Amino acid sequence: MNLVRAEFGRLAARRFVQLMVVLLVAAFTVTVLATLAGSRQPDAGEIQMAQQQADERRMEIGGLYDDCRQLEASGQSPADHYARDCEDLNPARIDASDHLPGVFVFDRQIRELAYFLIAFLCLFGFLVGASYIGADLTSGGMTNLLLWRPQRLLVLGTKLGALLAGVLGLSLVSTVLYIASFRLVGEVRGMPGVADAQFWADLLLLLARGLTLVLVASTLGFAIATLGRHTSAALGAAAAYGVVWEGGLRIVLEIVDAARPDVWMLSSYLGAWISGGLRFFANVDCFVTPERPVCDTSYTIGWPVGLAVLLGLVLVVVGAAFATFRRRDLA
Amino acid sequence: MSAVIEIAGLRKSFTSLRHGRRVALDGFDMLVETGQVHGFLGPNGSGKTTTLRTLLGLVRPDSGRMALFGEPTPERLPAVAPRFGAIVESPQFFGNFSGWRTLHLLAVAGGVPTTRVDEVLEQVGLRDRGEDRVRTYSLGMRQRLAVASALLKEPELLILDEPANGLDPAGIREMRDLMRDLAAAGVTVLVSSHILAEIEQICDHVTIISRGRRVAAGPVAEVLAGFDHGEFRVRVADQDRAAEVLTAAGLTVATLFDQLVVGGVEDPARLNQLLGEQDLWVSELTPLTPDLESVFLELTGTRPEPGVPRQVDESVLPAAAGDDPVAATVDDDRAAEADVSEGVRQ
Repeated sequence: MNLVRAEFGRLAARRFVQLMVVLLVAAFTVTVLATLAGSRQPDAGEIQMAQQQADERRMEIGGLYDDCRQLEASGQSPADHYARDCEDLNPARIDASDHLPGVFVFDRQIRELAYFLIAFLCLFGFLVGASYIGADLTSGGMTNLLLWRPQRLLVLGTKLGALLAGVLGLSLVSTVLYIASFRLVGEVRGMPGVADAQFWADLLLLLARGLTLVLVASTLGFAIATLGRHTSAALGAAAAYGVVWEGGLRIVLEIVDAARPDVWMLSSYLGAWISGGLRFFANVDCFVTPERPVCDTSYTIGWPVGLAVLLGLVLVVVGAAFATFRRRDLA
Repeated sequence: MSAVIEIAGLRKSFTSLRHGRRVALDGFDMLVETGQVHGFLGPNGSGKTTTLRTLLGLVRPDSGRMALFGEPTPERLPAVAPRFGAIVESPQFFGNFSGWRTLHLLAVAGGVPTTRVDEVLEQVGLRDRGEDRVRTYSLGMRQRLAVASALLKEPELLILDEPANGLDPAGIREMRDLMRDLAAAGVTVLVSSHILAEIEQICDHVTIISRGRRVAAGPVAEVLAGFDHGEFRVRVADQDRAAEVLTAAGLTVATLFDQLVVGGVEDPARLNQLLGEQDLWVSELTPLTPDLESVFLELTGTRPEPGVPRQVDESVLPAAAGDDPVAATVDDDRAAEADVSEGVRQ
């Protein structure tokens, strides 16, 4: 318990953490203020006109949507005729607010804003996680601590626990404030939209997935920096992965006409987890013939697979970090 | 007296792609008993810090046995950690934390009453600078902070690696007084240092290491006695005739400017008698007793030669301690200590 208290104290006292919190607050404040400044309250006439335009649009695409569904039901791919996903043509997805330019509509726009929140919190967690242990290893702080508590795994585990608890606590608070701020913007200078129970359930699920991702990013930053003994090791590993694997390997796979390059990319599983599942299209020749009337090259990575891959990666990296740290000579 | 630190047959080597395998400790032995102020000496790169790091669980040994307060380490280190305080090499701290916060966090982590923080800051002379950020501290102040961190636990054993690093003369004196006070209060102190005069003043026992092996150990007086060759500085009016008389008596004589250095003298009265019988009257008769510095330089082979820059790995490589250092016992260690003087003469 004493160690946990000390680690929370150490985490909160780190200047880098304080700086990152200030940047986090600044980024969110700028986002909210920019939205507030760019939005306006529509009058009754504008709303009525937007409603008419939405009704007309629904009628236009209603027939297309029905045809698309029939084609899909017959086992054929709608991609060549209509859209990759028939749901894109669903008239129910059309709302009057789509025809109100310059008006912030909470229920229509909060998901995109939530993605920004999650991305920023992930970056925050990764950097803070890497810096927290990296600075300790290079500054001699870890050595000092181990002279007091010569239990390596306990000390490293407590540090990781304190980091995750700290990041989760800050993420929860900032998420609540962030969502509440935009809800307020929608109320006072925009439109709240139809925020029913289903909407809130979907939003909460998205945020829960996002917070899980924040914890994964924090853990990976911490574990990679532990393995590399430096904060920069985590940053370098992340940059190298992005350039070499996500960029370079993708190009190579495309050159060699690999059928499913996306299955080799961590970003696919990350996207599948955060969005609840992602649909990809295989890079294979596919022609509709009388013998083969159905030609669907799509495949889906569901969120369970995405979560399994992310957790598997975390387990491997954290396991390697703890195993290495247990035996390592400390300077 | 019971043993506080026991090290037997400790071996450690470091391997790197660039430099290959480098042996840091080669069957090193050490024994520190309760109440001792024990000096740990060795040239740069001889293995002092590696020994302390290994003892404190920061470095994994290749082989050998170590114990603190009779408990094998590193296995039982957590059990004895509350009983010792240590600083190893130049301790680093977060520059953005104040000295007080640094100690407070350690006290909280170690379950020590936080009231101790102010006490140790006062003890090491940092009372008025405790709230300043560590980055504003001088090297000497950081060293004081490190010592303060080691004292927080009110340890029974204090391990200090180069505690005088960066200290000004007054600071060195204060550190010496502090160690004396702690020793008087019953704290066992193991201190490694390059300032041999300091070690000679405050330590009652000493271990000297060279290239990873122990070359001497025991009470300071005994180690020095091992190098006492019965030499005297003699000043007489007729230097040449005195040299002839003493040489004829079987003593070794060397002429040094206006004086003679006579070796092999068991009783200085005999020397006086030999010269007096020949009507040669001694105007000065001074015993030449070895000091720790000369012993250290001789044992480690690091005595500087004019115009020849010495490299850090050029110290003497002593003979290996035993056939099977891992199996060596502390009793063997004690026996080895008794033979130190003989070993030194050879």
